[in-house]
Formats: sequence, structure tokens, C-alpha cells
Amino acid sequence: MLFNSYEFILAFLPAAIAGFLLFGMTSRTLALAWLIVASIFFYAWWRPFNLLIIGPSVIVNFIFARILLRLARDESQPRLRAFVLALGILFNVALLSYFKYANFAVTIASDLTGGNFVLEQIILPLGISFITFQKIAFLVDVAGRRVETFTTRDFLLFVLFFPQLIAGPIVHFREIVPQFHQATCRFNAEMFAAALTLFCFGLFKKVVLADGVAQYVSPVFAFAAAGEPVTLVQAWLAAVGFTLQIYFDFSGYTDMACGAALFFGIRLPLNFDSPLKASSIIDFWLRWHVTLTRFLTAYIYNPIALALSRRRAARGQSMLSGRGSTVSAFFHVLAGPILVTMLVSGAWHGAGYTFILWGLLHGFYLIVNHLWRQYGPRSADGKGAGAHFASLTGFALTFLLVVCGMVLFRAADLASAVNVMKGLVGLHGVGLPSRLAEILRMPSLAPMMQLDGEVHMRTFAIAAAYVVGLLVIALFLPNSLQVISKYEPALRIPKRPPKLAGVGPPIYWRPTLPWMVLIAVLAALAMMQLTGKSEFLYWQF
Amino acid sequence: MSRRMTDQDIVDALSRILRILLRDEATVLTPQTTRPDVPGWDSLMYINFIVAVESEFGIKFKLADVESFETVGDIVQQIKALKRWG
Repeated sequence: MLFNSYEFILAFLPAAIAGFLLFGMTSRTLALAWLIVASIFFYAWWRPFNLLIIGPSVIVNFIFARILLRLARDESQPRLRAFVLALGILFNVALLSYFKYANFAVTIASDLTGGNFVLEQIILPLGISFITFQKIAFLVDVAGRRVETFTTRDFLLFVLFFPQLIAGPIVHFREIVPQFHQATCRFNAEMFAAALTLFCFGLFKKVVLADGVAQYVSPVFAFAAAGEPVTLVQAWLAAVGFTLQIYFDFSGYTDMACGAALFFGIRLPLNFDSPLKASSIIDFWLRWHVTLTRFLTAYIYNPIALALSRRRAARGQSMLSGRGSTVSAFFHVLAGPILVTMLVSGAWHGAGYTFILWGLLHGFYLIVNHLWRQYGPRSADGKGAGAHFASLTGFALTFLLVVCGMVLFRAADLASAVNVMKGLVGLHGVGLPSRLAEILRMPSLAPMMQLDGEVHMRTFAIAAAYVVGLLVIALFLPNSLQVISKYEPALRIPKRPPKLAGVGPPIYWRPTLPWMVLIAVLAALAMMQLTGKSEFLYWQF
Repeated sequence: MSRRMTDQDIVDALSRILRILLRDEATVLTPQTTRPDVPGWDSLMYINFIVAVESEFGIKFKLADVESFETVGDIVQQIKALKRWG
């Protein structure tokens, strides 16, 4: 069931909340049981068949977790514990691989051998990438004794709780399940208002902002996929437009997820912290899809980097130590693990060459960023005009690199990505609408802004207005979690006051009439444009 | 490093290691310091730090420990436990 559909907003969510509060009046046990049943219904709605895949996976993981829990208490068999953990991880990865990568593997085989293998289309069960990562993290946590005990109910709530089921945030057992144990299951008017506000912010971001700009982004990528050369103007509108689209789409989804969870008194972890304001690529990844970065760092980067670093230390080879680091230490201990981690990240996002390349590209970005940190000129004391210039340059560069990466992320295939990239650097002409070119008295800049045979001054103007408007919102407004931060709508919200463009008095949401009117307007605008057909971009992963 | 160190000695040693890694002379740790408190102490730098600490003290942390350290104080306690400085 889509968050941005009438059946979710008008039927399922109200019913789930009402049932939770009604049962909560008599017992928490009943309320939580209701929540589990509602979550299963939520998941089955779209395609009940999916339950047949997720169901067994949940049961098998439960059994693995139970065995690991027993082994973790007994220090005498570390090897057996490691073996069972490896088996559990293998099970999850294999399941994900079959559904997600079988087709891609066949494509690669065909490309390599020149043969033409065909596999019948495998339909990806909803949310399997997120569910798989979360369960792997859980098994590791149990084996590492970070989860000391759990009941069947704890496990089901952790795995199935519907606000985070399909596309995260990727939660840890220890940050969520204690909240269920302490849930009051009572109606609290202020928290309810805060939850509703966050949900409406998210709905608006998704339906009005992301879907709005998508109308001008998708045709250009379709155009590129059809092999038509994309012009400079088109390419920039589409690349920056898509960057904004995916930001508002995914952060809108996350706001709705956090808002939906807050109705039940549960706080999910922060997932977005205004990433487009980042001043470096490292900073970007600490603010974009935070729970994924956290997962990849903890379960992929750290083990590899730790093992490699220790091996170097044991052999007496040089270690990373600030400026004195040797190049071999840098590449061995830092660059290698980063590339592997970002390769996994790329493959996790999608089974295709473009996603793999996108991951590697960001790995490369990160390595350059770290090289600069290690060997580049030392920044001064972080104050003054020089530092301000440095952070502005860092922001602009980061933004450009992210936008270029997004072309790979969005393009249907490598050829169309290259097409758009060429457009970005002007190899396919400028392509202003001819009327605008006339006004500027530079007709040579004209033609080619033709998506369906005509030069559309109006289309161009609306597309440009969308992109500029969304840029202003993303770069100068405080984010939704900051605005509601007095009510702690999520875990780990940074303590930055919500100021306009970083200056002036902070703008905090309060349950007041003016805020109610604003939120009502945003919600009404969103509800009027709701088609129930526009999926969240991240639901496909 | 076999002599028994006080908590403060260990915190000072950790500060010294981090100063070198971050190339920032101003870095001073306390038992309450968390990673977000120190600019530039990101997750990648954290691994370098952990390994540098391991070789300085001649110990080896468990991966689960590495994940669960919240404050500098947690690291100090684990070092003492591993060195049996109780």
C-alpha cells in the first residue's frame, strides 16, 4: 500500500491508529498484537503473493536468531557461532540475490559470451532490499551480544512495523524495540499534531514537489533513452531536476514514515539531514540516507578496514597517521574498503551497470575527498573570509558531483547516461527555446528544446521555475525534522536551530492556529494531486 | 606499555593519537566526548583511530565493541578491561 494513496491516508492509517488506541485502553499486549496484524495486512495489500516469500524468510531468520542467541550466551563455541552467523547472512544474501540479481547475472553472462540467455521475469518482492539488510544487522547484533534477549513479539514488531517496512529507515533492534516496551498506547494531542504535521510535510514533498518536477525530468530521460541528443539546457534541467526529485521523493517518504510511526509513539532514526547543503562528499553521505550509510559503514566498511589495518600493523607496515601517511597505507587501508563498500551500495540500489558505476563513482569521490583531507592544504581556524570561500566552493563542487552521479542513477542505460553527460558539457548544442533565443538576439542558441516537435517557451519556463523553486527550498529552508525538533519526531536529530538560510530567528513548529492553517493548505494541495499511481523511487529497491 | 595507567593517562594518550590522525593540535578528549563532538572524526577516521589505539596499547578490540563505543570513556573502560588494569 502506497503512503501517498487514498486507501492508506483515509482508510488504513486511521483504522490502524484507532485500533491501536482502542486496544491500548485495555492492554498494551493487545495494542501491539493489533499493530503486527495491521502491518501484515499493509504488506499483503499490494500483492498477497509476496507474503509467501517474506513469511518463510521471517521464520528462517527467527530460527537463526534463536540459535545465535543461545550460542552468544555460551562463550565456549565462538567458531560455531561464527559459522551459524555466516550461514544466516548467506541465506539472506542468497534470497536477495535470487530476486534482485538473477536477471542482471544473465545479462552479464549474455554480454560476456555474446550469447542470448533469457530468464523468465522475476518480480522483486516489495521492500526486500531493506528487509534483508535489517535482518542481517539483527543477526550480527544477536551474535555480538548487542541484543541480549528477544521475544517472538519483539521480533515481529521489529521486522514488520509497517511505517519502516518497505523503504526504511533501516532501524536497529536496540533503538526500536525498547520503545514498544514503553509505549503508552494512549492518545496525546500534542504528539498527534506533531506526527500529523510531519506526515503532511512528507506528503507535500512527495506529491507536489517531487512528482511536480518529475513531469519535466522524465521526458528528457525518455528522450535520451530513445537516442535523441539531449541539449545543454535540457540536460541541466533534467540532471538538477532529478537530484531534487529524488531528494524530495525519498525524504518525503521518510517524513511520512517517521510521522506514521510517531502516531504510535515510536521514533524512527533520522534518515535525511538536508544533504544537498553538504559541503563535501563525506558530509553528503553523513546526511543522505543516513541509516544506509550507517549500515554499510558498520557491517561492510568497518570489518574490512579493521582487518586490513590490523594486518598492516602486525606486519610492521606503515599505518595511516595524518600527513605522514604513506600512499600505500592510504590505498590499502582506506581506498580499497571505500571502493568495496560503495560498490555494494551501488549494487544494492539496483541491479544494472549504471548503478554499479554510480557506486564506484561515489567511491572515487570519497577517496579524492579523503586524499584532500590527508594531504591537501590545511584549512585555517575555520573562520574568516577564506574559510567561508572554502566552504562555499566545497558546497558547489559537492552539488555538481552529486548531480553528475544522479545522471547515472536515473538513466535507463549507459548509452543514455553518456548522452545526457554530453548534453551537460554542451556537446549537443545549447537548446534554448527559439523565442527566448530571439529575445536574447542569439538565434544560434535556439532549437532543440523540442520534446514533441515544438519549441516550448512555456514548458521551459515552468521546468526552470520548478527547479529553481525546489533548489531554494532544499538549500535555504530548514528541514522538516528541524522545524518539529522540539517534539523529537525522530531519533538523533542534530541540534541545529531551524533558521531561514542559516540566519534570523529559528522557526519552530508549535500546535498553533497559523501552523495549522499552513499544514492544512499543504495537505489540501497534496490531496488534490494525489493519483495513487506514483510510486516512491526507493520502493523499487 | 605495561605500566598501569590512570583513566586520565589513557584519555591523554587517546587525545595524542587523535591529534596526530586529525592533524589538529586543538583536539582534546574527555571521558564524555562522543564522535560528533570532534570535527572530522568521521567513521573512516574512527577505524584508523581504533587500530592506532590497539597498537599503542597492544590490545585487540572485538568488532562488536568497536561498534558500540559511544563515548571516549567507553573506550577507556574497555582498554582497562583488556589490559586487566581493573
